Amino acid sequence: METLSALGHGFTVALMPYNLMWAAVGVTVGTAVGVLPGIGPALTVALLLPVTYNLEPTSAFIMFAGIYYGAMYGGSTTSILLNAPGESGSIVTAIDGHAMARQGRGAQALATAAIGSFVAGTIGTAALTFVAPLMVQVALLFGPAEYFALMVLALTTVTAVLGQSLARGLASLFLGLSLGLVGIDMQTGQARLTFGIPELLDGIDVVVVAVGLFAVGETLYVAARHRFEKEEIYALKGSIWMSRADWGRSWKPWLRGTFIGFPFGTLPSGGSEIPTFLSYLVEKRLAKHPEEFGKGAIEAVAGPEAANNAAAAGVLAPLLSLGLPTSATAAIMLAAFQQYGLQPGPTLFDSNPELVWGMIASLYVGNVLLLLLNLPLVGLWVKLLVIPRPWLYAGILVFATLGAYTLNNNVVDLVILWVIGLVGFGMRVLDVPVAPCVVGLILGPLAEQQFRRALAISQGDASVFLTHPISAGLLIVALLLVLGPMLLRRRKGAAGA
Amino acid sequence: MTTGRTLRLGESVLGGGLAALGLFIAYETMNTPGAGRGVVGPALFPYMIAAGLVLVGLSVLREAFSGHIAHEAGVELDAPAVLVASAGLVAQFLLIDQLGWIPSATLLFMAVAWAFGNRNLLVNALFGLALSGATFLVFNYALDLDLPMGSLIEDLVEPADEAAE
Repeated sequence: METLSALGHGFTVALMPYNLMWAAVGVTVGTAVGVLPGIGPALTVALLLPVTYNLEPTSAFIMFAGIYYGAMYGGSTTSILLNAPGESGSIVTAIDGHAMARQGRGAQALATAAIGSFVAGTIGTAALTFVAPLMVQVALLFGPAEYFALMVLALTTVTAVLGQSLARGLASLFLGLSLGLVGIDMQTGQARLTFGIPELLDGIDVVVVAVGLFAVGETLYVAARHRFEKEEIYALKGSIWMSRADWGRSWKPWLRGTFIGFPFGTLPSGGSEIPTFLSYLVEKRLAKHPEEFGKGAIEAVAGPEAANNAAAAGVLAPLLSLGLPTSATAAIMLAAFQQYGLQPGPTLFDSNPELVWGMIASLYVGNVLLLLLNLPLVGLWVKLLVIPRPWLYAGILVFATLGAYTLNNNVVDLVILWVIGLVGFGMRVLDVPVAPCVVGLILGPLAEQQFRRALAISQGDASVFLTHPISAGLLIVALLLVLGPMLLRRRKGAAGA
Repeated sequence: MTTGRTLRLGESVLGGGLAALGLFIAYETMNTPGAGRGVVGPALFPYMIAAGLVLVGLSVLREAFSGHIAHEAGVELDAPAVLVASAGLVAQFLLIDQLGWIPSATLLFMAVAWAFGNRNLLVNALFGLALSGATFLVFNYALDLDLPMGSLIEDLVEPADEAAE
């Protein structure tokens, strides 16, 4: 009941014309930027961060919520028409979505993705509304030791789940953690790894690193591969509406995708990669014609897209109630909160109810706006795909440097951006995942803080992490996640030899 | 053509680099005055991360020599394109303080377009100018952020301003 009245109050905030305008701006630019090839949700949010700097926090986060959901919608368009998924969550959509586009059914694929995203986004947001306050209750039981263990678990899952090789995932994670060391130590005022450069005292900004890896690194990689790859765009033709049969085959996958996606989003399980794959497998198992999968089955677009969006809503639950980012996009959102001097967590619900509930309410609003924006106007967004690649990527880098420069108005950030971009290029060539680096950079310092607090309370006794049951449980799960696959592989290797 | 062997070399550079970074962080932390006091001082985490870096670096090295790497068959990479785009970024951070946002961003735009095979310099210059000019106007006047005008250009403009006041 309390939740409903809080949400109702949130709606009065979100529906104020001024905030409604920012929500509309957010979903529009979020879709427009998210549609561009090579730009996934994480980069969309990072690139649009400077636009919000001079808004007051509530409006800024209402706009952010719009950008976040808009980027998720826009991302599916790129995967379906270009077969160029902007992030791991849309890889599955691209398989059958692009096959449908090749058969001239691109419009139906886009429609089932958009409506599925709406259904999943709305149910997911409703679930978030009730789960987030529950998580706040849990969070109140947490002390520093439990927080530390939870962060270790989140870091482990982001690393162990993504990518092919654990060693490369850990390489990315530790790179992020070491970047997080740079700057003034929050508890003692000690400068660490700043090499006497005053601009480094504030630390290396997550936004610069995310933009460096996702925009600069990616652009350099695409530049290197440009001459050798041909891409095909399929124009929308024929009826753009879904037939009765399409609806019949879509609605169950939407719902199933939603129920798979949301829980995975709330868990520290690395965002939307696992639930989209799971949804694909479930739909394939349940389909009447599983042989169509991979050749343009509409269920294989409807389910994973719903799962992707439900997971996107789920990710916000631990982010808002625990301050725990479980995906690269969430890491950047957390950086945005910090920019305003806000720390998400149980206290944020008390100190800033307007902001939290206004943001949650605006997610409902944003979803409706996005459905209106995407179904009739999809032809317009598709036009963005035909921007010539030289101008597109040149523009991306101009905006990347704009974002990095306006953070603190200094050149040092541009130099860091360049260095990180070169590192990102190398990582891309060697197939090292970049998400662990971004999450490690933002969670590393937070984990350290909790770690030292826990030890300060226990007066240096390191066993606190194991004597507190919740903390011990979380750490054991994290350990199993790392060791489990390793042991499995060893056994498989032994059996094969 | 970048062959599998070159990529293995790249992977060993990654592994070696991580291990070296670990040693460097440990060394820096050791030489930071005041660090290392107490169990929960500011030096503990750097040491833990340094140790992690060395271990991960070694395991990446092992993978580079005996395990599976990405693109084992090799991958084609256009090195000049990467160099030109990256040079655009370097030129921008070297010039932005003096020349300001508009010319330096235009230069970056032209460099990246060139890297992607568009050799139409004049048209790209115009597009770059339009984009950087538009962002300059929007960010400085509508959003109240401070993109630099450039010290050289301010020097040219300022005397006139003073005279007008």
